Amino acid sequence: MTTPTWGEPTGPLTSAEFRAAAQAIMANIEQVIEGKSATVRLALAVLLAEGHLLIEDVPGVGKTKLAKALARSIDCSVRRIQFTPDLLPSDVTGVSVYNQETRDFEFKPGAVFANLVVGDEINRASPKTQSALLECMEERQVTVDGTTYELQAPFMVVATQNPIEMEGTYPLPEAQRDRFTARIAMGYPDPRAELAMLSGHGDHDPLNDLHAVADAALVRRLIETARAVHAADAVQQYAIALVTATREAPEIRLGASPRSTLQLLRTAKAVAALEGRDYVLPDDLQALAVPVLAHRLIPTPDAQLNRRTTDTIVSEIVHRLPIPHATRNPYDTRDGRAPYESRGR
Amino acid sequence: MTGRRRLGLVAAAATLLASAPLATIFDSWTWLLQVLLTVVMIAGAAVLTRTLRFPSWAQALGMVAALVVTLTWIFPSGHELLVPTPATLAHFGELIQQAGNDTRSYAVPVPDRDGLLFIAVLGIGVVAIVVDLLTAVFRRPALSGLPMLAIYSIPVAIYLDSVPVTPFVVGACGYLWLLVADNVDRVRRFGRRFTGDGRDVDVWEPSPLAAAGRRLGVAGVLVAVLLPLVVPTVTGGLLSQLTQSGSGVGSGLGKGGNGKINLFASLSGQLAQNTTVNLLKVTTTEKDPFYLRFGVADQLTAEGFGNQPPAGNTLDAGSLPDPRRESSTAGSTFQQYHAEIEVTDALRQSLAPLYANPVGIRDLTGNWAYDPNQQVLYSNRTTTSKQKYSVDYLRPQYTPAELRTAPELDRDDPIRRAFTVVPDNDYVDRQVARITQGVATDYDKVRAIYDSFSRKYGFSYSQQTQSTGNFSEIEAFLKNKVGYCQQYAAAMAWMVRAAGIPARVAFGFTRGTMEDGSTYVITNRNAHAWTEVYLKGFGWVPFDATPSAGVAGAARSDWAPDVDRTAEPSAAPTTAPLPGSSASAAAGQNQRPDRANDGGAAATTVGAGTDQDNWTGLLIFGVIATLIALLLVPALRRVLLRRQRHTATAGVAEPSEPGPAGAVTGLMVTGETARAREDAHAAWDELIDTMVDYQITVDPTETPRLTAQRLIRETVLSAEPAAAVELLGTAEERARYAREPMRGVELTSALRQVRGGLSHSATVRARVRAVLFPPSILLGWRLALSEAGTRTMEAAGRLRENLARFNPRRLLTRTR
Repeated sequence: MTTPTWGEPTGPLTSAEFRAAAQAIMANIEQVIEGKSATVRLALAVLLAEGHLLIEDVPGVGKTKLAKALARSIDCSVRRIQFTPDLLPSDVTGVSVYNQETRDFEFKPGAVFANLVVGDEINRASPKTQSALLECMEERQVTVDGTTYELQAPFMVVATQNPIEMEGTYPLPEAQRDRFTARIAMGYPDPRAELAMLSGHGDHDPLNDLHAVADAALVRRLIETARAVHAADAVQQYAIALVTATREAPEIRLGASPRSTLQLLRTAKAVAALEGRDYVLPDDLQALAVPVLAHRLIPTPDAQLNRRTTDTIVSEIVHRLPIPHATRNPYDTRDGRAPYESRGR
Repeated sequence: MTGRRRLGLVAAAATLLASAPLATIFDSWTWLLQVLLTVVMIAGAAVLTRTLRFPSWAQALGMVAALVVTLTWIFPSGHELLVPTPATLAHFGELIQQAGNDTRSYAVPVPDRDGLLFIAVLGIGVVAIVVDLLTAVFRRPALSGLPMLAIYSIPVAIYLDSVPVTPFVVGACGYLWLLVADNVDRVRRFGRRFTGDGRDVDVWEPSPLAAAGRRLGVAGVLVAVLLPLVVPTVTGGLLSQLTQSGSGVGSGLGKGGNGKINLFASLSGQLAQNTTVNLLKVTTTEKDPFYLRFGVADQLTAEGFGNQPPAGNTLDAGSLPDPRRESSTAGSTFQQYHAEIEVTDALRQSLAPLYANPVGIRDLTGNWAYDPNQQVLYSNRTTTSKQKYSVDYLRPQYTPAELRTAPELDRDDPIRRAFTVVPDNDYVDRQVARITQGVATDYDKVRAIYDSFSRKYGFSYSQQTQSTGNFSEIEAFLKNKVGYCQQYAAAMAWMVRAAGIPARVAFGFTRGTMEDGSTYVITNRNAHAWTEVYLKGFGWVPFDATPSAGVAGAARSDWAPDVDRTAEPSAAPTTAPLPGSSASAAAGQNQRPDRANDGGAAATTVGAGTDQDNWTGLLIFGVIATLIALLLVPALRRVLLRRQRHTATAGVAEPSEPGPAGAVTGLMVTGETARAREDAHAAWDELIDTMVDYQITVDPTETPRLTAQRLIRETVLSAEPAAAVELLGTAEERARYAREPMRGVELTSALRQVRGGLSHSATVRARVRAVLFPPSILLGWRLALSEAGTRTMEAAGRLRENLARFNPRRLLTRTR
């Protein structure tokens, strides 16, 4: 999958190098997106976890700006697709056209052939077009006319979308939602950040001043470093417990997939690495549970009627689930079984 | 009607039922009417105040007012008009005093005496108020069982014998009714009743779901009633009542005993008992010992003979007088003997049986004191139960001729002044004057009175008469001439006093049945009372006027021969029981007229009873120490646990510290890693326990990091403990989730700092609690206990299920 160029330095970075590189990227992005360091950090973590990012929010809060800032900070190939209702799958994947000179079909790569693909307003395209992303997002390859084309590494799709209540949107298919590692919301900036934005953006677009602070090779090494982060057995069990809990929750019709378990742990590793740790904490998993799991779940009609969002359901699960203990907590009556379970029939 | 008011009425009814035991105390049913009126008044006051929605204290006040008004109605002083006045209160005081006297002078069942009725009504009224408050105001009806039990304890305390079961059953029914009413009320307030079959049922209709509860209740009452009947004599000794504040009827009603013992009542109780119980075993070197004595009644008032609490020094050097060196007993000669006394657990009293004139007492456990005037050995705390002790005593020897030399006491002699006090009674005075007419010496006067109690003058023995040494009864006895030892002894003492000679009534045991050579077995049948007369130069000389045929193990002396055997100075055996005597006389005992005697007061220093004090002290100390130790067990367990963990964490600092971080990681021995990990876990567990001790919530869904942050935030820790908490959190976090745990950090001191910080910010109460009753330990035990209980229940459930499924037929088909 990864095809490093010869002569490129490989191997994991030291902790200091990793931090320096990661800080540089984050500082760079924060020049454009102000007061959203947690969101920026999460976006970077998704990149380092080799995942894809879905930014969902109301129009005008800087979704696209975040995606573009991330793309600009890394010196790699960036393509942008504006999803429109009439966009076709071939626009995304590429198409074989007949070359008059060679008298043969020639593959014209689509927009996904890049390190970073920014899919704007992804839910405005029809499900048919969106489906074209399924293969490339998971398998990092594109198959057109029987020929499979590998994508470059790193490969990351950063999609933005409006909430589905907005006009002219289609809901993303479950399969595609599951392929996005994390869904984040931008949220409105606080007044100070907004003021800074006004003074900063007044005369020019700071996005234009942005320079790349990393290249694809560095990102690959960053990814490699993040992968090496240690996740103890207890932490892995906790990840499984969290995901299992979403499958068993009575308010959820469709729980999280095994793929989500993997991505949860991977993202947690990236977050841990960004915080300068070489081990994952349950805290990381708790912080990531909502962005990583919530958008994959389908609530039951009852829960929907009660206006229960999957976000609240997942955060309740996080607050309910006991964390893994190396030693058994003597006061924890909850592990094993609920205290009320034993009280007869 | 609201549930609260209904509960109040049920409480009143239950109080009435619980007052049933009074029926065993009073002769007639007057008390019931008065109690009924009082309880109804109190209940009415309660309902009224509740209807008017008075606050709780006003309800209580209203009930108290109702009680006072009712008492005023029933026991008026004659000066008031429905409302109590100071005169009324003074009258109440008189009534209480009168009740105190009545308790001493009347045996149960008592007649309708105003004082006793007043006490009874007052007591039941107070109980009614307490029960009402507990039930309707505080909603703790279970506690109202205590005052109800207090009522029942009155007959238990008074009757030396067993107490009838019926009053208890009635009272228990009232109590259960109260509990049921309260429970029904609770269920009703909860909402609609669920009966299991989906029907909407009335509140008072029994629920099938409660069947198990009803069965349990019935079984409980049955067990409570039947168990005491099955278990053989739990209390054992009937004299045991002697040691319990025995001033009679009023004791249960809060009158309280003043340490006085009604010797007459206890004696009659003992003799009236149906069974024979072994009380003592005595081995003495004396050939024909006189009676063992333990008590004296030396106060004769209008109410009759009464005893006063003995006063004397504890048994140690100098407390036992030697009569040989005492001037008051100079006229007699003494012979020293030695006796071993072994008391069974049936005799449980605070007065120890002794032979007269002890000069040495040994091996008696507990703190005992000797009253040289009464010649009584007593204790305020210990009893004679299961005691085994030895006595060295002097037996005075005198003949009638010697006694005749005793001069008359001066009129101003303190002894004569103290022990010749008699109430005015013409009949007795006339009798005495007639009997002692023309008799010169004191001894002859006493003999004349003594002889007058013979069959010749129409006296006969019968236990059928009840006696409390009462004044009017003594007079009645002198007229009826039928009675038993108490009346004989009291009547003779009175008459001797009337003749101007000091006299008193002594209580004790007759000689008993001889077992082998020198050992006597003494039972409750041997309980006895006789007269002691003070003769100058000889001290207190015993005279037993009771016909020896009526008393098992009676003894006679030269100076007081058996009057029914007439004339003969040395008494002949009495074999034929007198008509009407109910006690079976042990024939062998009557044969020996005894020269035994009671001397006067005397003094010798004998070092006896040294270790007993230490033993009691040790015992009390041991009990208190055990209690304290038991209370301290949780704290101790906590300290031990902490120490254990500290020793674990203290070792952390010792292993060689890895130099540059990460460089040595590969070389670390895994044993050390595991060790460091364990240490961090121990430190964290200790921190969690400390948090529980200081009642800070422990959330199992929190990570160590979050817990540490919350702890700092919630308890407002200062910088140092906060840093320590963070260190502990990080150490635990790394121990759990990182490849390499933290090493070389001082977790013990960090723990200490956190503990100090928590204790600093906690309240005093929380601090004391954390040290003395650490919740971490208690909670841990409670959880373990409930878990064990759950497991047992589950096991029992499985067993029951298996048993239900068990089908013997299946076994048959299988074998076929």
